[in-house]
Amino acid sequence: MDKDIFNHFNQPWLPMTALGIFVTCFIIYVYWTYKKSNKKFYENSSYMPLHDGVKHER
Amino acid sequence: MSSPSAVHRTGRLETYSYDDQIVRMFIVATIIWGAVAMLVGVTIAFQLATWKMNFGLQWITFGRLRPLHTNAAIFAFCGNAMFAGIYYSHQRLLKARLFNDVLSRIHFWGWQAIIVSAALTLPFGITRGKEYAELEWPITIAIAVIWVVFAVNFFGTLIRRRERHIFVAIWFYIATILTVAVLHIVNGLGLPVTIFKSYSVYAGVQDALVQWWYGHNAVAFFLTTPFLGLMYYFVPKAANRPVYSYRLSVVHFWSLVFIYIWAGPHHLLYTTLPEWVQTLGMVFSIALWAPSWGGMINGLMTLRGVWDKVRTDPVLKFMALALTFYGMATFEGPLLSIKSVNSIGHFTDWIPGHVHAGTIGWNYLLIAGILYYMVPKLWNTEIFSKKIANTQFWLATIGLALYYVSMVSAGITQSLMWRAIDVNGKLVYPNFIETVVKIVPMYWVRAFGGTFVFISFLLMTYNLFKTMNQGTIGEIEVFEAYALDDSSLEENAGHHRKLEGLPMVFAVLSLIAILVGSAIEIVPSLLSNQYITKIDAVKPYKPLELLGRDIYLREGCYLCHSQQVRPMAHEVLRYGKNSEAGEFIYDHPFQWGSKRTGPDLARIGGKYPNMWHYRHMINPRDVTPQSIMPIYKWLVEQKLDLSTLTKKLSVMKQLGVPYSDVDIASGVENAQAQAKLISADLMNQGVPKEVEDKELIALIAYLQRMGTDYGSLPVNK
Repeated sequence: MDKDIFNHFNQPWLPMTALGIFVTCFIIYVYWTYKKSNKKFYENSSYMPLHDGVKHER
Repeated sequence: MSSPSAVHRTGRLETYSYDDQIVRMFIVATIIWGAVAMLVGVTIAFQLATWKMNFGLQWITFGRLRPLHTNAAIFAFCGNAMFAGIYYSHQRLLKARLFNDVLSRIHFWGWQAIIVSAALTLPFGITRGKEYAELEWPITIAIAVIWVVFAVNFFGTLIRRRERHIFVAIWFYIATILTVAVLHIVNGLGLPVTIFKSYSVYAGVQDALVQWWYGHNAVAFFLTTPFLGLMYYFVPKAANRPVYSYRLSVVHFWSLVFIYIWAGPHHLLYTTLPEWVQTLGMVFSIALWAPSWGGMINGLMTLRGVWDKVRTDPVLKFMALALTFYGMATFEGPLLSIKSVNSIGHFTDWIPGHVHAGTIGWNYLLIAGILYYMVPKLWNTEIFSKKIANTQFWLATIGLALYYVSMVSAGITQSLMWRAIDVNGKLVYPNFIETVVKIVPMYWVRAFGGTFVFISFLLMTYNLFKTMNQGTIGEIEVFEAYALDDSSLEENAGHHRKLEGLPMVFAVLSLIAILVGSAIEIVPSLLSNQYITKIDAVKPYKPLELLGRDIYLREGCYLCHSQQVRPMAHEVLRYGKNSEAGEFIYDHPFQWGSKRTGPDLARIGGKYPNMWHYRHMINPRDVTPQSIMPIYKWLVEQKLDLSTLTKKLSVMKQLGVPYSDVDIASGVENAQAQAKLISADLMNQGVPKEVEDKELIALIAYLQRMGTDYGSLPVNK
């Protein structure tokens, strides 16, 4: 029966396509996130929770 | 510094205040419902240790209370905590008051009304019979409506924000809101019969796949992603340290959101689900190790430099332990999804052990830390007693350790006993009850471990209410920030940076990330007619059997009995032929179950005489002396309700079950005729005549039918 299922629904392109999408996206966002020019911005972002109670912005 | 980009902000200065009252309301609800959820949890833990704790009352019998426990723990306790934390952090991270106060109140009272509805329906057996999605259709619709209210309030606040960059915690919230909506709607589709009864539009394998896609991701997107978002906000706040690596949090977010959605089929390994779907679920589950541990490491490393405070500060103490348990649970989850490990752990108590390492260890402890942070802030005071908080911490830790160790031991013990085969190829423990008796002592340990956790929660309840009492709400604070105009834009900002400032586009991309995996997993469901080989011998249930099946659902039998014989030598030896996909095509909803406190029932039909079932339901100890099953004596007292049968058959027909018009028109007559046959057999053995129109007759009809269509065919078929 398991074999029958595989024969009737053997579409490996489906998970492979998804894997391809994931790997592509992963490479793009890892590259972007760890790009040198972005370092300062993300370092600053990590402080955001600590600056939520500012009474006077000036 | 007010902006992460260090952009020099100019423009119009605006004043604003936070709606903290709604946060306070959700906090109080969290504490109350948390206590209720744990009380029910402890009750059912003792019910498993001794059947006498069911007290012979249908409304508090295990099968009715267990869904109440899970719904209360997940949606009432964790749900309210999640809303409190999100509303607190969302406003502060965006420098904006919540979008609409009225929507906030509708959200709060609507959610509480849903919880009360669940508490009023589940003990009465009003259930859809789908794990973690038991609530009947009117409540399911109400959940969707209130969720939309929450979403409008949340996204409305995002639009009115004064901070350009959307902090990573809010990304997790966005993913939560979108994914839970998709999961809830897709899995909740059903056709109503009455106001209290509906049937799932899916059946058998299709229903199983949709259900566990939902079930797994309910854990992922209701108990994990929102709490990771809260972790990214509250751990830095409590430690007064920045997030260890913001860049890691970005990678953590996208990887987790993309991968998590695929892992659902690991709940269905070795079942009749297509092999490739099972493998896919397993592979992506293992891949989850990386983002999960990335998040845990990021959280724990945020505490660098303040480890000395972890020893003394209750907030940090709870958060550090919660992160540790998160790491442990997310290591164990992928481990359990490896097929060979799963063949041991599945259907055993190892799984509740794993689940509670997550829900108690991660959710409860993190919520405790967050509450100990928020309550003093919102009531302008200090924690009432750090000593009580410390006692709570150790009680919870010891209780969870007892719970976890006993359940893993019970699970492995039982599994090894199930699969023990001697040199002659026979089961060493052919009688299922032998394996139950062995683990009952561990059920007692679990019950006492759970009691410890419950007492720890009561201590927190006392401590927090005393904190509230000694504090004051005080005046509403007013803050000042620049309006979000072009001065907040960073020069030469890149694509992802712009994306981080565009909530709607960001939301759409998050949605696509979860839909890719979902679509691929759901495709086999939509095409199930093509790949499930029809078995001619499998026919729709007879009317009386259908009514019996509804009683099976009502009593929550699926919570202790599976209906799925896996293709393993010991299972085939114990139960009979392994299950096939074609057997379940008329099962709306499927009833494969996820736990075997009692034996599998897929081939129970015809195994015992009617009289055995009659005696078994009235008092299981009459036929199996050491059984821990509750008594179901009300089934011989309550009359079978035939009034909705015709409608039920019609709805089933609409769902694709091949009942003819004649079948539907003569449904009641057929049911009565079949009931007469079964009761005549029972009366011949001394059972009083009055039993003929009682519910138990329908349940016996269903049990005797189960698995017989395909099960009776020769093996080579």
